Amino acid sequence: MKPFEERYTAWIDGQMSEAERAPFEQELTDRAAAETDKHEVHRLGDLLRARGTAPQLMSGDFFNHQLQQRIATEQPSAPVRERQRWWSWSIPQIACAGAACLLAAAALYKGVIVSPEPTSVTAESTYFAEIVDVRTSEPEIYASTVYTAQDNVTVLWLEGLDYLPATYALQ
Amino acid sequence: MTRPGFALLLLSALWLGEREAHAQDKIWSAVLLASNTAQPAETPPELRGSAERLGRIFGYNQWVVLGSSTETIDDQVERWLIPTKHFSLNVKARRASSKEARGGYLLNLKLFQDKRQIVDTYAKLAPESPLFIRGPMHARGQLVIALKVRP
Repeated sequence: MKPFEERYTAWIDGQMSEAERAPFEQELTDRAAAETDKHEVHRLGDLLRARGTAPQLMSGDFFNHQLQQRIATEQPSAPVRERQRWWSWSIPQIACAGAACLLAAAALYKGVIVSPEPTSVTAESTYFAEIVDVRTSEPEIYASTVYTAQDNVTVLWLEGLDYLPATYALQ
Repeated sequence: MTRPGFALLLLSALWLGEREAHAQDKIWSAVLLASNTAQPAETPPELRGSAERLGRIFGYNQWVVLGSSTETIDDQVERWLIPTKHFSLNVKARRASSKEARGGYLLNLKLFQDKRQIVDTYAKLAPESPLFIRGPMHARGQLVIALKVRP
């Protein structure tokens, strides 16, 4: 069975068959209100059919212009600021810009590059000296790197160097 | 002075200020003699905080500074460090830009014993991260060359 809304629309439009109409009208709880609805819909339809075409504008551009002007006058206007060239800045403006640059540079230096304050020797440190590349001048000398992260000590360990006798002056 | 001129001067001053902040960094080097004795001498002030750690690595309980040398670090400028008459170091430094380097340097180090070059190395050093080079063995003990960046 069709839903009530669909049958109601068909009833208003007069598209319901005789066989369907009588039982549907029995179904209506407020017949008078339904008849008023039907009457109003028919009146609206007649009105729309009578005035189906919109009046044609003879000077559309003029109408648009007037409309835009009216919108502009009704809206609160935003203050228009004149664009200022950077070379026409005043000394305080330049000083402020310089200070801002300095602050940005300091923040970058502190955050990205390094913390210049030395940490204490005993403080835990994740960085320790690093041997990137090593070459010995003689094949008998062998070099290896010893890292101890726990002690934060890096040693370039050279083997194969000549033993120095006691006669070799150290200082 | 015109305003663009003033702005240029201000920027130059900022740039120079930034350079000056690192101009004071120095590199310290020393030749150390490590040995084991029953009554070890007092740790030299330069090695306080390091001697114990060095002892764990090298196995010696006495550390003596035979000589030391300090030079200012300049970007890409060669420096000679001559802590003793027999040992010298040729150092060329470049500032490391990474945060992990903690204000350190990438150094090209050449260690010489008299006129003989022993080793040529590239190493990253930061102020609290010294580098030690195990040198030759002497009749009196083990020679160790120390390098440290000092802000």
